[in-house]
Amino acid sequence: MAQSTAVLHFSGHQWLRNRLVLSIISGKPVKVDKIRPDDKNPGLRDYEVSLLRLLERITNGTIIEISVTGTAILLKPGVIAGGPVLHDCPTSRSIGYFLEPVIMLAPFSKKPLQLTLRGITSDDQDLSVDLIRTVTLPHLQLFGVSDGLELRIKKRGSPPLGGGEVQFLCPVVKQVKTLNFVERGKVKRIRGISHAVRVNPQFSNRMIEASRSVLNRYIPDIYLYSDVYKGEDSGKSPGYGLSILAESTTGAMHCAEALSQPGVAPEDTALLASRALLAEVRRGGCIDRQHQVFVLLMMVLGSEDVGRCLMGEPTPRTIQFLRDVQTCFGTTFKVTPVESDDASGPELIFACLGIGYVNANRSLA
Amino acid sequence: AQQAFSDRPRAGKRKDWTKLIYMSSLSPAEILRGNVAQSGKSQSTQFAGDEDFFTVVSRDSADKEELDVTKDALKADELEEWGDEDLLDSIRNLFITGSSAPAGEGV
Repeated sequence: MAQSTAVLHFSGHQWLRNRLVLSIISGKPVKVDKIRPDDKNPGLRDYEVSLLRLLERITNGTIIEISVTGTAILLKPGVIAGGPVLHDCPTSRSIGYFLEPVIMLAPFSKKPLQLTLRGITSDDQDLSVDLIRTVTLPHLQLFGVSDGLELRIKKRGSPPLGGGEVQFLCPVVKQVKTLNFVERGKVKRIRGISHAVRVNPQFSNRMIEASRSVLNRYIPDIYLYSDVYKGEDSGKSPGYGLSILAESTTGAMHCAEALSQPGVAPEDTALLASRALLAEVRRGGCIDRQHQVFVLLMMVLGSEDVGRCLMGEPTPRTIQFLRDVQTCFGTTFKVTPVESDDASGPELIFACLGIGYVNANRSLA
Repeated sequence: AQQAFSDRPRAGKRKDWTKLIYMSSLSPAEILRGNVAQSGKSQSTQFAGDEDFFTVVSRDSADKEELDVTKDALKADELEEWGDEDLLDSIRNLFITGSSAPAGEGV
């Protein structure tokens, strides 16, 4: 329906990031209106404006028009340029909010992206930099993006004041590989990072111990790393948190994390993270909920072959994304349920024909 | 609404996901909640009112703004169920040490 017109048209402030990504990758202009029209404080938030600025910086020739009231935007995408970029993220959202869309775009840029982001390194709304480093980046490798892919956590910064700094390095690819990932396998190891800044470094060890008390019953191969940043590198606010992931025999990863809350003991934070991980493992599939959108996007962009992937129940974000993909690329997924063993939730196979997206921005070596 | 979702709709109803995603006007949250019949009704009343000059602004989600977040908030009370030994044991077969693991990899 919307394919006939060149401009993608969406409404509402929800799902803004995914829609901007789709627009920039497809090269189609996107118009988003009705951004919080009835709100007391209508229009774009500061972090959304900041995200638009960031996207403007990593691209070349992007034109962004924001209406006077801020309730509508029009983005005409340019080419994804890459190269060295520095961006200060507002403290209203964590670095993860900005990095997630950038990771989807970076492999298709003209030059390898070297992005430095400053701000809050982990909060409870978006993926922390630890999970992006240990879980999201390995997901990129499934699609053949690997050499030189790196996320360096130079400084940590907890909410509310942040003060962290990360550097994201991403190589350029011509085309992503078709994914065929339908064997979930069994969890063979659990890894985790327990971090603490500007608090007693012992908190980190207390979290590790509490988490082990839950997870040790399943497998012995548990390694939780205590990552304590000190002095200048520890940001402006105190905080701590535990990010853990379970990896299966086939390489399927599920992750969870919990961060410090006022009045909650480190043990309880760790318990929360560990239980959330178990819940995530039980949901089944080869891809956890936070990475469904990312994997589906890469599947759409894959070579002209049928890609298949086993996932648990889709999240609302995933469902909306599938619809937006249809609007943007005309690609629909075939979703078939599979019989799974009793313990896990419903599992579905998502299959689609890749559009054979070729990175036309890439400068020829 | 959140509760209904978390109840894990195990009830026999097989969802036709492809159809729900691409060929219905239900919102993503409604699909997951699985209240197909209910929301169908509210849709039709909405359309009936379209002829009128004045339309009632729905105030369903006005209370708290839905943010574009990647992680769902952890709900401590929901995760409390993992204190239960039986539940902990029920997912043991998802790990390599589980009973259905190939011989030689057992505990």
